[in-house]
Amino acid sequence: MNTFSGHISDIQVNESLSMVSIRINEHIVFKTILVETPETASYLKNGSIVDVLFKETEVIISTEDTLLISVQNKIKGTIKKIKRGVLLSRLIVTTEIGDIVAIIATEALDTLLLKENSTVIAMIKVNEIMLSR
Amino acid sequence: MIEADIHKTLSTANGKMLLDIQLSIEKGEFVTLYGSSGAGKTSTLRILAGLLSADEGKIAVDNTIWLDTVKKINYTPQQRKIGYVFQDYALFPNMTVRKNLEFALEKGQDKSIIEELITIVELKELENRKPKTLSGGQQQRVALARALVRKPKVLLLDEPLSALDITMRAKLQDYILKVHREYELTTILVSHDIGEIIKMSDKIYCLEDGKIDKEGNPISIFTNDKLSGKFQFTGEVIAIKQEEVVYIVTVLIGNNVVKIIAQESEIINLGIGDKVVVASKAFNPVLLKIGK
Repeated sequence: MNTFSGHISDIQVNESLSMVSIRINEHIVFKTILVETPETASYLKNGSIVDVLFKETEVIISTEDTLLISVQNKIKGTIKKIKRGVLLSRLIVTTEIGDIVAIIATEALDTLLLKENSTVIAMIKVNEIMLSR
Repeated sequence: MIEADIHKTLSTANGKMLLDIQLSIEKGEFVTLYGSSGAGKTSTLRILAGLLSADEGKIAVDNTIWLDTVKKINYTPQQRKIGYVFQDYALFPNMTVRKNLEFALEKGQDKSIIEELITIVELKELENRKPKTLSGGQQQRVALARALVRKPKVLLLDEPLSALDITMRAKLQDYILKVHREYELTTILVSHDIGEIIKMSDKIYCLEDGKIDKEGNPISIFTNDKLSGKFQFTGEVIAIKQEEVVYIVTVLIGNNVVKIIAQESEIINLGIGDKVVVASKAFNPVLLKIGK
């Protein structure tokens, strides 16, 4: 599990859903959608310290920073290490908030010509991020 | 309904411990006492059964006072109408299954209950066998049936399934739930098995150092409400296998086996038999309607 600590910087609520922004550092803000509201979860308030969790298999890797994509969480980084498997490969991407681990298809690794030291964008959809106190 | 207020000083390996327990259990409820060894679970059960005396206390069951140390009321175990099942079966080795059950009959009690219990816990084919020729699970079924011969209102189960393997345990759990419902019992179980507790109990009391530390619904006690994932279950790790660059962890949740892809960092402190919370977001699972 990829885990980063941050504080809640914004909450938009509609009925039982909330879109929560979590600031990790001065540049990076993660967004996540939850089936919780400040009424149902006491930690949902501005300034609360929370951990942002997402699975390695949910990380999308791209070589270009396109704005034309529905994935809202994007972090630039450099591939530090690649562990190649037959079908799946494991990448460690160094970013300004720390290392992000991504599991992607080995086929995709080859198609994108990913190598160690390649610059990439790691992306995570808002519905793939969990919060933990 | 069981109302109990129990006080007793127990001598333990670590010196004296004060048992200070208050229980309020509805009629027909299935309740579990959970806690580490030496927390006072078995002592509580034994005091309820009248097998151990309390220093001070009161036990009332459906408006009948079983124990009141102030009024000097103290029913014997026989008067309390309880069924008690121990971990080690405690069957008479020289008697057949049927004789073990018949031995538990009260003087003048109608024998038809024996036939009924043999049917309910499916012992018909084993009724003429001696305990030592039976498997652990079969012996525990006999012990369960025997505990019910006198038609108790309250069934006390002291880790009855901990010596059994996982498949047998699941079967016995079903038998226990069946008799619990069939005979409208109020059941108190001592168990360490979180999956078992969640499957069987309406309520759980967590004991620590002789006191009740937490009580409530088992799911809310055991699942992690500090995690925002809405798709959460508690299970037991039954296998961990490395494949390619990931690990596949097999987890038993209730009677279902699920598989989870994990990373080395997640399995580093994980072993077979460990309890885990399996969590995902409410956005990920899909629903498929079953049947017509």
